[in-house]
Amino acid sequence: MKKRGKGIGATFYGTGYGNGFPDVSKAVVEIDKDGKVSIYSCATEVGQGAKTIMMQIAGEVLGLGVNDINFISEDTSLTQDSGTAAASRQTYNTGNAIKLAAESMKNKLLNLAKDYLKLNATLGLEMEDHKIYLKMEPEKCVYFNQLVEKENIKVSESFTAQSTQMDEETGQGSPYWPYTFNCYGVEVEVDTETGIVEVIKGVCAQDVGRAINPELVEGQIDGGFAMGLGYAIMEDLNCVNGKIHNNKFSKYLIPTALDMIDLQKIIVEDPESTAPFGAKGIGEPVMTAVTPAILNAVYDAIGVRFYEIPITPDKVLKAINDSLREGE
Amino acid sequence: MIRQCITPSTLEAVLNILDEEGKDVELIAGGTDLVIDIRNEKFKKSKLLNIAKFKLLKFININEDKTSIGSGTKFTDIVENGEVEKLFLGLWKACKSVGAPQIRNMGTIGGNICNGSPAADSVPPLLALDANLIMISKDKERVIPLREFYLDKGRVDRREDELLYAIKFNTLKRNEGIAFEKLGLRKALAISRISCSIYIQLEKNDYIKNIRIATGALGKYPQREVELECMLKNQEISTGLLNTVSKHMSHIVEQRLKGRSSMHFKRSAISGLFIKTCKDAVEEAKKNV
Repeated sequence: MKKRGKGIGATFYGTGYGNGFPDVSKAVVEIDKDGKVSIYSCATEVGQGAKTIMMQIAGEVLGLGVNDINFISEDTSLTQDSGTAAASRQTYNTGNAIKLAAESMKNKLLNLAKDYLKLNATLGLEMEDHKIYLKMEPEKCVYFNQLVEKENIKVSESFTAQSTQMDEETGQGSPYWPYTFNCYGVEVEVDTETGIVEVIKGVCAQDVGRAINPELVEGQIDGGFAMGLGYAIMEDLNCVNGKIHNNKFSKYLIPTALDMIDLQKIIVEDPESTAPFGAKGIGEPVMTAVTPAILNAVYDAIGVRFYEIPITPDKVLKAINDSLREGE
Repeated sequence: MIRQCITPSTLEAVLNILDEEGKDVELIAGGTDLVIDIRNEKFKKSKLLNIAKFKLLKFININEDKTSIGSGTKFTDIVENGEVEKLFLGLWKACKSVGAPQIRNMGTIGGNICNGSPAADSVPPLLALDANLIMISKDKERVIPLREFYLDKGRVDRREDELLYAIKFNTLKRNEGIAFEKLGLRKALAISRISCSIYIQLEKNDYIKNIRIATGALGKYPQREVELECMLKNQEISTGLLNTVSKHMSHIVEQRLKGRSSMHFKRSAISGLFIKTCKDAVEEAKKNV
C-alpha cells in the first residue's frame, strides 16, 4: 500500500568560520591603460556561481556589466587569499571585500575625474559604461582610459567578519554573523510493501538577504534539495568496523535527475545591513532542512520515527514490520 | 592484460576466430560491463573480439507466430520499437529500466544475457516468454532454452566456439500478456534489488490457462519460479489466491537467501512486487484482445 505524508523542516544557519576565528577576504581592483577593469580575488568557483555574482557586485558599484569585468580567481600567484569556498561565506565575506575594493576604486576615479574635468567637487558625478560624467552637464565627461597615466590604477581592500568566541561555561557569545533562515515542506509517498520512499512534492522558502542573482539562488536551492534528498534516503557509506563498503558510486547512490522533483522556490528578501547589497550565502542552508522535512513527512505517512539516516527501503520496511508487531 | 583487439569484417571471420582460439578471446559488444572489468583489472584474457558493429546481429523481427531479436540489438533500439512496446510491454519496460540513456545506447540484449548477472534486467521477461537462444559456431547451430543457459553466478552455457546469434520466442496473441516490475533504489542507473516478470495466458476473463513467472536478483542467476506457476495454473485469479501465492514466494526467498543480510528485506519486498506484476500481466492479457 502507498501511504502519503507531509512534513516541514526549518533551520537557521550561521555564516562563516565563526567563534572568533579570523575570517578574512581580500580583493584588488585594477584599471589598465585601455580602461579595462580587472578584479583579483580568490573566491573559488565550485559551481555555486561565485564568479558571476562577484562580477555583478563589482559591476553594480562601477556601473559596468559582468562582461566588462575581467575576473581573475583561483590563481594563488595572482590573487590574495580570500579563504575557502566553505561555511557559505563567499557571498558575504568576499562579496564584501569586492564591494569595498570597487567602492574605493570608484572614489579614486571620481577624484581623478574631478581634477581632469576641473570641477569643484565629485558631487553629481555619475559612472556608467567606462565613462564618468556630470549629471547636470553630461558633455563634461571623461573615459576611464583617459584617467590612467603611466601606471595602472590599483586599489586593494580587505574585509574581516565579526564574531566572538563563545563562552564555554555559559554558552554565551556571538559566534556567528549573519544568520540565514529557511524552511522546507515536502510530501512523500511510502510504499509499505517495498519500503521505498518517494518524495513527490516540495517547497522551499529561503531567506537570502538579497538575491543578487535569483536564477543562481534557485539553482542552489535545487542542488541543496538533491543533496538533502540523497542524504535522507540514499547515501549510505555502509561503514562496518571502520571499513567503508560503499566506496564507489555504483554502490554509494546519489539522486539522479529522474529522482529530482520540480521544487517550488520562494526567495525571501530581507537585506542584511552588513552584507554586500544585503546578500547572504545559502550554499549550506539550502541543504540542512531537507532531511528533517522528509523524515517528518515519513512519520506523518507511516507513524514511524527515524533517528538514523539514510532511511533506505530495507530500514523502512523493517521499521514498518516492527511497528506492526508491536501493535499486535 | 589485453594484447590484441580484433574487429573482423564478417561474421564468418568471427566464427573462425572463435573456433580456433575461443578460449583466449572474449567477445565485446556494448562493453558496458566488460570495460569496467577491464578498468578494474578483473579481466584475464588477452584478446578482445569486437562484434559491436555487426548489423547482422541487430534486428527485431516480429512475425505472426515468432519474434526474434538479434543479440547485438541495443536497448535503445528495443525501447524505440513501438511494436515491442505494444506486444511485449514487460520486456519493453525491462529494457527501458536498464541503466540510463547512455548505457542503453551502448548495451546489447545479447550482452545482458551472456554476462550472467543475477540482476540482468532483460532476462526475467525473456524467461517468462520462454525464449530460446540461437547459438552459432563455425559449422553448427544450437538452440538452447534460456532457462537452461544459466549454470552459476556469472557462468553461462556458451561454448568457447559459440556466438549468441538471436533470441527467439512466441509472439503474444489474444489473451496473452507480459509484465515486469523492478525494485531499484533510485529511478535511473539503478541495479535491480529484485525484479519480477510474469507471462499470463487467460481464458474466459479470469481463468489462468498458462503462466510463467521469472525473477531476478533472488539467487545466483535469473530464474523461473515453477513452484508458483503450478499454484496459479488452471486457477481462477483472485485476491485470496494471489495473497497465498505471494506468501509462498516470500517463503521461497527466505529459504533461497538464508544467511544473507539482504534476505529479510527481499523476503518482505518480493510479495508486493509479485502481486503488482501479476495484476499488470492480467491487465496486459486483457488488453491484447
